[in-house]
This record gives sequence, structure tokens and C-alpha cells, in this order.
Amino acid sequence: MKPNALLQLHPMTKFYFSLFILAVVLIVPGYWFAFSVFLGLVAISLLAGVFKEFIGIVLKALVSVLVIVFLMQIFFFPGEQVLWRWWIFEIKQEGVYYGLILTSRILAIGSAFVLFFRMTEVRDFVKSLEDKGMPPMGAYVVLSTLQIIPEMRRQANTIMEAQKTRGVETEGSLFVRAKAFIPTLTPLILSSIAGTEERALTLESRAFSAPVKKTSLHKLTKSRADRILPILFVLIILGLLVWRVVLWQTS
Amino acid sequence: MADIVIELQNVSYRYPVSDDYVLKDVSFTIEKGKFTAIIGNNASGKTTLCNAIRGFIPHFYKGDLEGIVRVGGKDTQETQLGQMAEQVGYVFQNPFIQVSGVKDNVFEEVAYGLENLGVPVDEIRLRVEEILKLVNIGHLRDKNPFELSGGQRQRVALASIIVMDPDILVIDEPTSQLDPVGTEQIFDIIRLMKERGKTIVLVEHKMDLIAEYADNLLVMSEGKLVMQGPVREVFGNPEYERYNIQYPHVTEVALQLQKSGMPLAFLPVKDSELAEALNLKGVVACD
Repeated sequence: MKPNALLQLHPMTKFYFSLFILAVVLIVPGYWFAFSVFLGLVAISLLAGVFKEFIGIVLKALVSVLVIVFLMQIFFFPGEQVLWRWWIFEIKQEGVYYGLILTSRILAIGSAFVLFFRMTEVRDFVKSLEDKGMPPMGAYVVLSTLQIIPEMRRQANTIMEAQKTRGVETEGSLFVRAKAFIPTLTPLILSSIAGTEERALTLESRAFSAPVKKTSLHKLTKSRADRILPILFVLIILGLLVWRVVLWQTS
Repeated sequence: MADIVIELQNVSYRYPVSDDYVLKDVSFTIEKGKFTAIIGNNASGKTTLCNAIRGFIPHFYKGDLEGIVRVGGKDTQETQLGQMAEQVGYVFQNPFIQVSGVKDNVFEEVAYGLENLGVPVDEIRLRVEEILKLVNIGHLRDKNPFELSGGQRQRVALASIIVMDPDILVIDEPTSQLDPVGTEQIFDIIRLMKERGKTIVLVEHKMDLIAEYADNLLVMSEGKLVMQGPVREVFGNPEYERYNIQYPHVTEVALQLQKSGMPLAFLPVKDSELAEALNLKGVVACD
């Protein structure tokens, strides 16, 4: 399989890209632009081969928020031109316009970050932050959390089984299951706390606090694109800013 | 006189909020390159003793430590915890928790300690490859450490420590999750480490293997160091029976035979010696 050029980019480049989208969407007025940015992001996700996951998360996480935001705006944004009225509810022209701007921007910015996390392994991102000077302690916290969650789920299952053998009812109506939750949760939390002590000892015996500079098997490389793209992003943002200022002064 | 690398002088310790001392006036020395086994029944203070040697007492577990613990000539009270990792490798009991929790596969897991020590990447690869082969876990290299069985984890834990190449290895029951074959393999590795000049402190309940491989014994009972000395002397001492600790099987058998009237040439501690210990008498009886 040929490695995907987009996925091969340095995590920081991808992160800058998300910030770039954020800036651009805020600078350029109008909802048409923000919606087309979203289409652009969809195109990128297709090229990077992460379209399915990307669109799935956008639909699940963003759309419901957007619908609520949009409805709030069209009903409650103050304005003059009433388009439609029923009882105390009024839809106003200004509300529709503002709602579209807001939702299009949220959609573009939100999906830019969703795309970022679809295209970047958290491990790589944390590594790049570490390269940028994040303390290893912080990196450890982020990475271990990622691994410990599935581990805790496994442990919760074990505890659940153990409680079942002791006669705790874990199946049945919602109330029964809720009652079973407490005898499962308490040992889970307690054992996790007890586990941290041994985890700390493990890290200590692996020289985590050794007073030397760490090395890493995991290396991130920067290609030429990784050097050029951030500069390009900054130039475009500057250009757009100048354009906005000129536009504002002439009007 | 050989170099003394571990020295305890009148060490007593109690854990925080506990009234009883877990270690009571323990004194001993361990010479460089020796394989010392700590034996004793449960809750006799073996693991606490290991923690004291590694410096987790008093740096990690607070509580009251009296007496002096010297490792490599330095008082552990004055050394930093992080500095000791390179010198003393500590493999502890529970294999399920001995995973760094940030690595996706066994190879990187084993490499983790070396990364922390700042070893150059090329060297890390070489050393990890070598250890994976040595500990016989090469086939696990791409597996997630969280998905391993107890025995596999125990081997990974051991590998992760010996890859750092410490001078002293403190190993707390490394074979509790292993079958007899796996246990033999671990002891083979420990023996190899000894051949490389490492000083080894091992907590273990499998007396047959201890008799086979260890040089010296420390016998713990209720926090006190009750006996110490070369393996053969300790097992041969009638006092040993008082502490209700298991004998090596062959010694047990020989002692029973002796009680029922069969004289022994000497007290065997290794399986291979039994014939010799009995044979001498047997030859005489035939005459």
C-alpha cells in the first residue's frame, strides 16, 4: 500500500492547517465561503482516505449542535424583517442570516479539528508537542490515559463478573442494573487508585525520573511540504487581513 | 576481600500509620557478582527488604527507616530515586501492573527504560533485539503489552529491566505466574546474568531452583533476618527447620530417610546429589 502523502505530513503541519482554517473562516465574511471551506475539508478527507470516519463524527457530533444553534438564532436574534410568525415565535431575516453565518463557521472550524484528529495519531501529535518542549510528564499523562481507558473497561467487566458470582444481580430492569453499578464502581475506583502506586514504581524502575535527556524510538520527520505549508498559511492569513482592512476603509 | 555492593546495617522500618516494624534490625552484606536468595514465609518482610535496597524506602514509601542502607557504597537516603534506576534494576511481583502504559507493543515497551536513560536510538534497537531473543519473547514483539497473559507479562517485565543493564538486579518472585518450563527459562536467564557479573537478589519460593542456582541465602521470619550464609550451610543447619519454610524436595526426602535410620554421607540440596549422598552408604551395605 502506498503511504498517503497527506497522512505523512508532520502532525504540527496538520495542526497549523486546522488553526489556519479557523483564522480564515473568521476573517472572510459570509456563509457561502465557510460552507465551501467545509466542502474543501470533505475533499481533503476523501484524498486522505478518512472520509467515512470523518463524516461519521461530523454528523454525530456537530450536526445536532448546529441544528440547535440555528434554531436559537432564527427565533431569538433581534431583527425587523419578520418572515414567518406563529403565536409568540417569529422568524426574522436577520436571524436566518446570522444563524447561517454562525453555523457555517462552527461547521468549518469544528470539522477542521475533527479532520485533524482523524488524520493524526494522538501519539504522533503528543510526540510533536514533546519536541516543541512539552514536559515528558505531560506527554505521559495524555498517552497513558489513552491506554488506560480500555484497560479499565476490561477491569470493570472482570469486577462485574466477580460480583455476579457473588450473587449481585446485574441483569434486568434499569433499576436493577443501576443498583449493580455501585458494587462495580467502588472496587474499580479503589483498585485504580491502588494501581497508581505500583504504576509509579514501574515508571521509577524504568528510569522515568532519571536526570538525563530522553531519547525516543519514535521519530517524526519534516518533509519540504512541512516547512513550506506553515509559511504559506501565515502569508494567506496576512493577505486576507490586509484585504479586509482595505475593504473596511474603502467602504 | 571482594567488593561489597549492598550493605545494610541495623535496618528497621515501619510503614506509615503502622505500629509494627516490618523490618527489625536487619544487617547483612552482599558481595559483587553473588546470587543471593531471600526466602521466608508470606509477610515476613521480603518485599519490604527489596524496596529498601532499591531505595523505594524511604524515597517513595515514607515511614520510619532506621539504620543505614548502602548500595554501591552510597547511602540510599542521600541518592535520588531517578539516579538509582541505572544501577539497581527492580522487577516486582505483580506482572499485571508492570507495564508502562504508554507503549503499543512489546518492542517499544522493552525499549522504554532505555529511552528514559537517553540511550541513542540505534543502540536501543540492538539491545532490545538481543534481550527479546534472550528472554525468548521475540514472537510477542508486535503485541500490545496489555493483551499478554500473566506469564508473558512477567517475561516482558524482566526483559524491560535487564535491557537497562543494571549492575544489581532485585527480582521479586519472577516466576509466580509461570509453568515449570517457563520457570526454568527465567532461572536460566538469571544464571546468565550472574555469569555476566551482575549481583542478584532474588525473592522466590521455589527452593529446588534456589538450591540449584543461588550462592547465598537470607532467611526472613517476622521481619527479622534469622539466618544467612551459603545455601548448603543454611539448609544443613538444624535451626532452619524451626521457621517452617520449605526445604528443597531432595533435602526433605533425605532428612526423612535420615530420621528413619538411613545415614547420609552429606545433606543433599540439589537433585543430582541425592544418589551420591545415599550411594556411599548403599555401597557399604552391599559389601
